[in-house]
Amino acid sequence: MSSGRSVKATARPALTPFAVLAALVCAAPILAVAWIALSGGASDYLIHLAETRLPVYLLTSAQVGLIAAAGAGAIGTGLGWLIARCQFPGRNILSWVLVLPLAMPAYVAAYAWLDLSQAGGPLDVATAGLFPTIRGAWGAGLMFALVLYPYVYLLARDAFAAQSADAVQAARTLGASPFTAFRRVALPMARPAIAAGLALVIMESLADYGTVSHLGAPTLSIGLIRAWSGAGSLLDAARLSLVLVLVALFIFSLERAQRQRARTSAASGRHRPASRLQLTGWTGIGALAVCLLPLLLGLIIPLARLGWRALHAAYTPDVLEAAANSLFLAGTSALIAAGLGLFTAYALRTRGRIATSAARLAGLGYAVPGAVAAVGVLAILSGIQGWLDPLWRGMTGEVFPILLTGGAGALIFAYLSRFAAAAIGPAETALGRVTPTLDGAARTLGATGWTLLRRVHWPLIASGVAAAGLLVFVEVLKELPATMILRPFNFDTLAVTAHNFASDERLGEAALPSLAITLIALLPMAVVARYLSRDTKSGDLDD
Amino acid sequence: MTDLTVRGACRTFAGEHAALKGADLDLRPGRVTALLGPSGSGKSTLLRAIAGLEQLDSGEIRFGNTAWSEAGTHLPPEQRKVGLVFQDYALFPHMNALDNVAFGLAGSDRKARAMVQLEAAELGDKARKFPHELSGGEQQRVALARALAPKPQVMLLDEPFSGLDRRLRSAVRARTVAALKRAGAAALIVTHDAEEALDVADTLALMLDGVIVQTGTPEDVWFKPVSAAAARLLGDANILSGQVEAGRVETPFGALACQDITPGTLVDVIIRPAGLTVAEGDTFEVVESRYAGAERQLSLKAADGTLWHANAPAASPLRAGDRTGLQLETAFTHIVENRS
Repeated sequence: MSSGRSVKATARPALTPFAVLAALVCAAPILAVAWIALSGGASDYLIHLAETRLPVYLLTSAQVGLIAAAGAGAIGTGLGWLIARCQFPGRNILSWVLVLPLAMPAYVAAYAWLDLSQAGGPLDVATAGLFPTIRGAWGAGLMFALVLYPYVYLLARDAFAAQSADAVQAARTLGASPFTAFRRVALPMARPAIAAGLALVIMESLADYGTVSHLGAPTLSIGLIRAWSGAGSLLDAARLSLVLVLVALFIFSLERAQRQRARTSAASGRHRPASRLQLTGWTGIGALAVCLLPLLLGLIIPLARLGWRALHAAYTPDVLEAAANSLFLAGTSALIAAGLGLFTAYALRTRGRIATSAARLAGLGYAVPGAVAAVGVLAILSGIQGWLDPLWRGMTGEVFPILLTGGAGALIFAYLSRFAAAAIGPAETALGRVTPTLDGAARTLGATGWTLLRRVHWPLIASGVAAAGLLVFVEVLKELPATMILRPFNFDTLAVTAHNFASDERLGEAALPSLAITLIALLPMAVVARYLSRDTKSGDLDD
Repeated sequence: MTDLTVRGACRTFAGEHAALKGADLDLRPGRVTALLGPSGSGKSTLLRAIAGLEQLDSGEIRFGNTAWSEAGTHLPPEQRKVGLVFQDYALFPHMNALDNVAFGLAGSDRKARAMVQLEAAELGDKARKFPHELSGGEQQRVALARALAPKPQVMLLDEPFSGLDRRLRSAVRARTVAALKRAGAAALIVTHDAEEALDVADTLALMLDGVIVQTGTPEDVWFKPVSAAAARLLGDANILSGQVEAGRVETPFGALACQDITPGTLVDVIIRPAGLTVAEGDTFEVVESRYAGAERQLSLKAADGTLWHANAPAASPLRAGDRTGLQLETAFTHIVENRS
């Protein structure tokens, strides 16, 4: 096709370096971790670890991940089907409100639920000890299910909404009852999307530190942080990181494969949108109640408990400074990530081989848990330090300033390596709407260069790029383990402040920063949720 | 064997679907009925109502002595055991061809029976292929095999050939009709393509604005349409409005006899272009002369200013501006009362 060729030729190859930069930012920490982990001999601590704790870490990680996946799968699939295929009071608003628990960090939910359910807590007292204490692996899994189900919900909802009504009706004419048709046709057709959502849930629960440490579920993340902060060994931390990354990459590859399948399995046939099942009267109220329950458990009850706690605790002035730090880090990372994502998406559009491989490499960053990214950044910084020290001493005779506490820059580096991938996907989806023929049409009408970008591209991609930035903003705001490892001395964020108070059993003081994170995150999350719910059929979160 | 009868089927919608306004239809075992109508006439709605995918507001659908749809009764689709082939085939994308065909079957030998069905469709070697790995024609055959597998007594096909390449269509059509005849079911094929309807139908039903306006053999319906609108559904037609006087109606080709119509009645004279042939004379002026392969399609203006469509041999030298005479062949002429 000559037209396709000419459009390809005029795309700017100058953008490829951005994709390469994104790939470097995202991949460098993993590569550094792997380099460190695979060099050098086995230290005593690691041997000790392998003999004692490692099996426990692995087992607990598996337990937490499975419980989180089962819970989030049930909640997300059920809600996704209700919203996509039924009409009931409140459905239109719930369609995006059900995404909001993503604004709640799992560790904040854990603070509130442990506080409510532990011995002497209000739930324990009210039920005379019958209500189980939320802790351990199953407690942590439950918390992840409550706040991470939106990943499954979003993908399942869009999959159910995209299914042609004909398939289910064909099943009915072949003798299937409504329930059988759902079980044998609608659900299997949505299965790849649901599986992709579950993979995201498992990856997030593997990356978590705050929740599992508060509820006492020693996962791999805990082992990693202990190796670094307790034993102070970068080598051991890197080795545990490598184990964690391998597990995460395995799940990540499952996720990618499922998405690919989702694409081929949706490809057949013309789309005839199903008319939604009208739920009126008691069934409608029942559906509304089913939708409100996860919101209540994942968002409203924890917020209410922490609000009550915050009101009854002494005010700590540090919170303001921590909030300013959090906002600065989240805002800066979001801006850079959105820009990096956008330019990478443009580079991808050239279909150049370097740009494509670079962008795919950058995509791996999404699988890297925050703690691993932090260890990787540490490894890189210490490597540079070791290389610069003698050079600097030789030139000036003085000791080179210490890089390890590299300040906010190192933190932002780590955040970007983890979250820039999350910004490439939405930007790529948004840019996908700007087809080569659209470019061609604009060119024949005399719009080129900046005019083309301003009048055609930007209006089509602006909301997608903004959503990508806001998503990174929320993620950085909630991020805990990387911040703990890399933050400069005396530099606290809201997440670190909350975690420190909570681990000192000072939940009253932890309540205010916890509330602040969630409330600040709710607004951008609402914007993202509405963007992703434009008309139930919408773009993916990171695709 | 049992007939399916539809009487006075009514259904109105708030949304995008076309309404039914009292449709009557009979389907007989072993016969293919083609339901022809323009888009929006309600033909798909009627098919979906027979399948049980739409409820009727009033009217009834009976299969023999069993009421499928009537006041207070709506048998769900899974209990009607109709075979339905969708316009987009609606193959289950997560199942291979064999599993698709086996879906509606029960029992331990269901896979084997599905395989027999697939082999009858000459798709035995594609049993393990998934829908997206099949061509459009193969998908159509899997969809047909899937619908036929449970041996339904009523087969419903909604625009089953519209997704296919034009070159493939007549072959697929012949295959489909043969398969339907073998199965012996009462079959209904919904289409908006007149040529297709004439080709496949034992019985042709015309639908306009939610009502079946005419039912009959394809020849009957083509030569003796009940109205000008019905005539236009099946192809180009010259329509001349006039009034019956003394058992005759005047046309530019002379008066036509219509003894059985009351004098003074307003009528439409329907003349197919094939019924007008070029003859000696100069009473018509050629306005347009289009070459259409085997023939030439002429638009001509009569002395009274009326416009006529006629066919001429491909080699005809007539071009715009030339003058010619026209001769009428009465077999292609039909006179109907104008009720509008």
